[in-house]
Amino acid sequence: MGKYRKPIQIVIMLGVLLLGGYAIGEALFASSDSDRPEVGSAAPNFTLLDLTGKQHQLSDYKGKAVVLNFWGSFCPPCVKEMPEFERQYLKWKDKPFEILAVNLSEGDLTVNNFVKDFDLSYPILRDANKMIERRYGLEQYPSTFFIKPDGTIMDIFVGGMTEQDIDERIEKLLQT
Amino acid sequence: MFQNTKCECGHQNPPDTLLCESCGKPQTEVAEDAPLEMRYDGMARRSQKRNPNPLDLVWNFFSSVKIAIIIIIITLVGAAIGTIYPQGNTAEYYEQTYGWGGKLYHQLGLSSMYDSWWFVGLLVMIGTSLVICSLDRVLPLYRALSKQQIRKHLMFITRQKTVYTGPVEGNAEQWVQELAGHMKRRRYRVHTDGTALLAEKNRFSRWGPYINHIGLIVLLLALLARTIPDWKMEETIAVRDGETVQVPGTNYYVKNEKFTVEYYEEKELPDRLKNQERPKMYKTEAILYQCVQSCGEPGIDPVLEPVKNYDIIVNHPLSHKGVKLYQIGYDDQPLLKAVKPVIEDKQSGKVYGPFDLPMKDPQTEFTVGPYSLSLKAQYMEFSLNDEGNPVTLSRDPKAPAFIFMVKGPGIDAAGEPYMYFPLQKDKERFRQDVINRDLAPKVEIRVDGMENVSFTSYTSYLLVRVDRALTYVWAGLGICMLGLLMGAYWHHRRIWLRVDNGVLSLGAHTNKNHFGMRADVAWALAQMKIEVDKDKLDNGGYNS
Repeated sequence: MGKYRKPIQIVIMLGVLLLGGYAIGEALFASSDSDRPEVGSAAPNFTLLDLTGKQHQLSDYKGKAVVLNFWGSFCPPCVKEMPEFERQYLKWKDKPFEILAVNLSEGDLTVNNFVKDFDLSYPILRDANKMIERRYGLEQYPSTFFIKPDGTIMDIFVGGMTEQDIDERIEKLLQT
Repeated sequence: MFQNTKCECGHQNPPDTLLCESCGKPQTEVAEDAPLEMRYDGMARRSQKRNPNPLDLVWNFFSSVKIAIIIIIITLVGAAIGTIYPQGNTAEYYEQTYGWGGKLYHQLGLSSMYDSWWFVGLLVMIGTSLVICSLDRVLPLYRALSKQQIRKHLMFITRQKTVYTGPVEGNAEQWVQELAGHMKRRRYRVHTDGTALLAEKNRFSRWGPYINHIGLIVLLLALLARTIPDWKMEETIAVRDGETVQVPGTNYYVKNEKFTVEYYEEKELPDRLKNQERPKMYKTEAILYQCVQSCGEPGIDPVLEPVKNYDIIVNHPLSHKGVKLYQIGYDDQPLLKAVKPVIEDKQSGKVYGPFDLPMKDPQTEFTVGPYSLSLKAQYMEFSLNDEGNPVTLSRDPKAPAFIFMVKGPGIDAAGEPYMYFPLQKDKERFRQDVINRDLAPKVEIRVDGMENVSFTSYTSYLLVRVDRALTYVWAGLGICMLGLLMGAYWHHRRIWLRVDNGVLSLGAHTNKNHFGMRADVAWALAQMKIEVDKDKLDNGGYNS
């Protein structure tokens, strides 16, 4: 036993340091709800169809700045934002930049009518059964995620934004 | 300082050995008559070493049972403080509910203390101490017990807690062999060495505490494993009657086939609760599906295969491969699912239809009798905004409304708009006939009879819980209990004896129940025609 004493001690102490360090670190840095995407974390991937039936996968937009907006026709601040996003889209669309607006699992007719009424040109994606909405841990509408070209979240804005709010965030996003 | 650690029997003992590892002679300088300290059979604790290096110092710290007890007491006191007020609420909650005490409680971080770094740190220290304390003791003990010398030093034998000395007649070796036969009948393992004997039973019970500790370590590791993503998940889902919803984070889907509530009858309730609807039992008749194809592909309905049918009621979750669905509540607000309206020609009184109109994604073109209807807009919860424009307030069909473009006999060839509210209350509230001014005298879309209306009456709330660590928690507790049983219900008993020139010296040791030990010795001696009162065998000392 004598000659194994030191290796055993070292192995056990290393194990304690590793596991203990992990446990304490987890307690120190874990947020209250770790499943929800946060500023700095990677934006959860998804694949959704737009109104024309084209597939959009978030990971395909790596290298581009992405504004991911969740909206519903039943939410007045969302409705108010949509034309502002349209103007911002036209302003920045020559840059490596995209707006993806995910509808909150509403019916075909409702969404089509809405997009026609507002004459929106950026992709409107259709979530079904609140799946992606849930993956992003949405609690209030509208919610907008500003995603950097490397796929991490730069900022999360909950609630209606003014056009200036949108503009300055996109500008910052394009600088990264 | 140099210390001679060689015993008179010639065995070289490690420093701080209390009893010679070979013959058992006490190694302390002072001669005493009191019973010997038999803990770990007098072996030196593994960590006790001269000139400790920093690693040894840390090791020695955790190897001390005294330190372990202090850590456990601090943890217990901390855990107790955490129960003063409910955990995990907001700062405002504590201040409003408990005043300045609550405010202080929150400021000190006691409101989420079981997750705090220092509490976790204490648990880590307990875990470390469990490993090191056990290892430091179990190895020397194992060594001591696996190579026991049969002929012990006289001083070792006569200073046990159960002793007997007396004359023996006849051939000593034969006497010892005969006694050995009797001991074997009492399920002792007997070893003889000429005129010396060692009888031992239930040695395995000595490993009980260490197995118990292994169980505790498994338990602590299992609790730690819960922090790994995907090992633990808790989420609530709402499933309407007849609806199928994906179980978040899994490949499963759950369908609410039927939801039922039973209420208490008036006579079952005490007076103060009368005239209230009190649910007695509610259940979701659920079907669990597994997605086998087109899972998570947009625009394509997943292919589902049923896995399990189960009636979920409170405390009886549906459980499948580590995923559990608990019934946690329900909502009884009825929501319209579909209607089968008819269309009436007001002039002729003829009724056409009915046609199917679901609330969720209805078709947009209908041909009913001579009429053709084209759905132009749909509102789930109809309302008018500040500018007087129609809007929907939510995505649930609480006050559905449809705008049709109607073509047919007596109607403008380009079609005329008709607004239809399936629910009577909305029809009156928003004055359907006033909105449909021109068309109202010509046609009417309406529902005849309740059989043409289908509601989802209940929304069942299910808690999805995935806890992959639970199996390991139970395993840890099981190992822990096994260790406890081993240590508590069996006792390690040993009897040493030697006959020197017709004088028998017998000593016996047990880790528990000395009374039983003495009874065993008295019984064995009685078999050899030596009658001795078992209480007389008591050599004093602390006997449990």
